[in-house]
Amino acid sequence: MSSNIKVVTRHGNSLKDKLYLPAIYDGVKVTFKHLFDNVTDMNAIDTLEYPEEQPTDITSRYRGLHRLTHRADDTIACVACFMCATACPSNCIFIEAVDREDGVDEKMPKSFFIDTLECVFCGYCVEACPCDAIRMDTGIFSLTGNSREDFVMGKEQLLSHKGAFGEEVSCART
Amino acid sequence: MSEMIEIIVDDKTYRAEEGSLLIDLLIREEIKVPYFCYHESLGADGNCRMCMVEIAGQKRPQIACDTLVKSGMEVNSKSTKIEKVHTDILELELINHPVDCPTCDQAGECSLQDLYMDYGLHDAKVTIVDKVKHDKKVDLGSNVMLDQERCVLCARCTRFTDKITHTHELGIIGRGDEAKVSTMPGRKLDNPYAMNVVDLCPVGALTSKDFRFHQRVWFLQSAESICHGCAKGCNIYIDHNKMKYQDDVIYRFRPRRNDAVNGFYICDEGRLSYKELETNRLESMLYDGVVVDEHEAIAQYKSLLTQYQGRVSVVIDANLYSEEIEAIVAYAERIGAKVFAPLECYNDPSFADDMLKSAQRAANYGAIVKMGLETNMPSDAGLIINFNHPTHFNAEAEIHFSTHKQESNALLLPMAAFSENSGSLINEVGLEQWCEKAVEKNSPAPTVLSWLEKVEG
Ligand code: SF4
Ligand code: SF4
Ligand code: FES
Repeated sequence: MSSNIKVVTRHGNSLKDKLYLPAIYDGVKVTFKHLFDNVTDMNAIDTLEYPEEQPTDITSRYRGLHRLTHRADDTIACVACFMCATACPSNCIFIEAVDREDGVDEKMPKSFFIDTLECVFCGYCVEACPCDAIRMDTGIFSLTGNSREDFVMGKEQLLSHKGAFGEEVSCART
Repeated sequence: MSEMIEIIVDDKTYRAEEGSLLIDLLIREEIKVPYFCYHESLGADGNCRMCMVEIAGQKRPQIACDTLVKSGMEVNSKSTKIEKVHTDILELELINHPVDCPTCDQAGECSLQDLYMDYGLHDAKVTIVDKVKHDKKVDLGSNVMLDQERCVLCARCTRFTDKITHTHELGIIGRGDEAKVSTMPGRKLDNPYAMNVVDLCPVGALTSKDFRFHQRVWFLQSAESICHGCAKGCNIYIDHNKMKYQDDVIYRFRPRRNDAVNGFYICDEGRLSYKELETNRLESMLYDGVVVDEHEAIAQYKSLLTQYQGRVSVVIDANLYSEEIEAIVAYAERIGAKVFAPLECYNDPSFADDMLKSAQRAANYGAIVKMGLETNMPSDAGLIINFNHPTHFNAEAEIHFSTHKQESNALLLPMAAFSENSGSLINEVGLEQWCEKAVEKNSPAPTVLSWLEKVEG
């Protein structure tokens, strides 16, 4: 074990650090630089006029709304193992399992609900899934609805969400 | 009894009976030893080879399950060499294992998973596509499902049907890669204790059709209780869980080891009797078939009691806890009522056998006998206050404290079932045992004791 320990030198012990003033000066300099830039060129401000303007910089690692993936044969990839529900810190995944009768696998979810109002979008469910059956790569970051029930996503809805970054089908072994 | 001798395991001295099995000593002293095929009630079979230990003076590692202890024996269970042996044998066990833990019901209580974390942690050398394929969904009968790919061929299940039930339905057929568990041609697994093979199977090869896919085991909470199927008093675990936004429900009963009563097993009928606790329960107070609130119900109760003053009989079910029965008897004395606990209706000789099942189908049979209560049927009573006794009695009026719904115009008052309350029971041979409270319902029915408080308050 000990060979893996990396000793990191402690910063902040020099006279310059202890005086604090140079650091305060650096910070104030940044603030005033932005103030000057923004006042002189209003169009370059890094703020979006949301919702008229939509973000263009959502990356494939962004944790958006969940989806349930399909297998190569277009059937549901989820096997109702409850790993996501077990890992979920907000206990907002509700699954009911049944025998799968189509010969593809043994078990599948009869119902699968995620209450996105309780969800904290931590992505633990995606990490926990052994079948690559749940992903948060839809790029959907905004959810609206008229009632609480609108935010509880069922199996069909989760299956209908498309991945925004390719890799449409589950990468798990079949 | 044979002589007690001393042996040394991992440099510590232990006492054991000469000629007893080494593995029994290791298990008893909680010395870690991996095993699949050995089982205390089935004896040694020596087929899985997981339980290897080093014994001084022996050239090769030996299996602990088939080694008899001898005076002065020196055993080593922990050396690097023996650990390597454990890892290698486990790897052999896993060669053709389908690693389908996500769909396997045993996950979470599986010996293969546990031993892999303790002894394995190797990478698979055989890819999934190259593994030997067998049937994954064989219905053996008696609610038992077999997945031949997951089987480690420990023969616990076949030995159970040979040595315990003597019904011989199961066998291992084929050799090498072709070996698999199967029922004898044209037969099904069919005996009143069949579902015990599900608990015996150390892996997910045998699963219960009744429990399958209903709940992952790590969500379950277990309470120690006693089966209410008959007067034997088999020890069980009540496995239950309250899912978010739902009610606390029981998912299964499992046998709990008690060598003085049931050993390792329970009968299938007792195992499945949890269903009765979840269906057809009386949930509201009824009078003349109409729902009444607690205030009306108690008013009605009191007026009936005054109306029939001096002609009241109390009837007690022999499944109630002893504490409840005592309280009812004391209450009956206070209101001047006669007490009856008719036992006749519990007698069912067709249910009895020479393994566990008793003909007396009431869990607290022993308490009724011990307290010497009147076991005849009540006669010419004006009012009968029935505490969940299953018989219908003729009387001018009836008040029924009941766990389950019934066709009746009487005053029906819902009460907690045994799983929703704690208390003690005395079985047919006079052994007193304790039941923990398992289930906490969202809207619990009052227990007998709280009903008595309410009606006397
Ligand atoms: S993102 Fe986190 S909180 Fe949301 S469903 Fe997944 S595990 Fe639960
Ligand atoms: S089915 Fe289970 S108990 Fe029977 S031999 Fe296979 S692993 Fe052992
Ligand atoms: S437990 Fe000893 S060989 Fe299986």
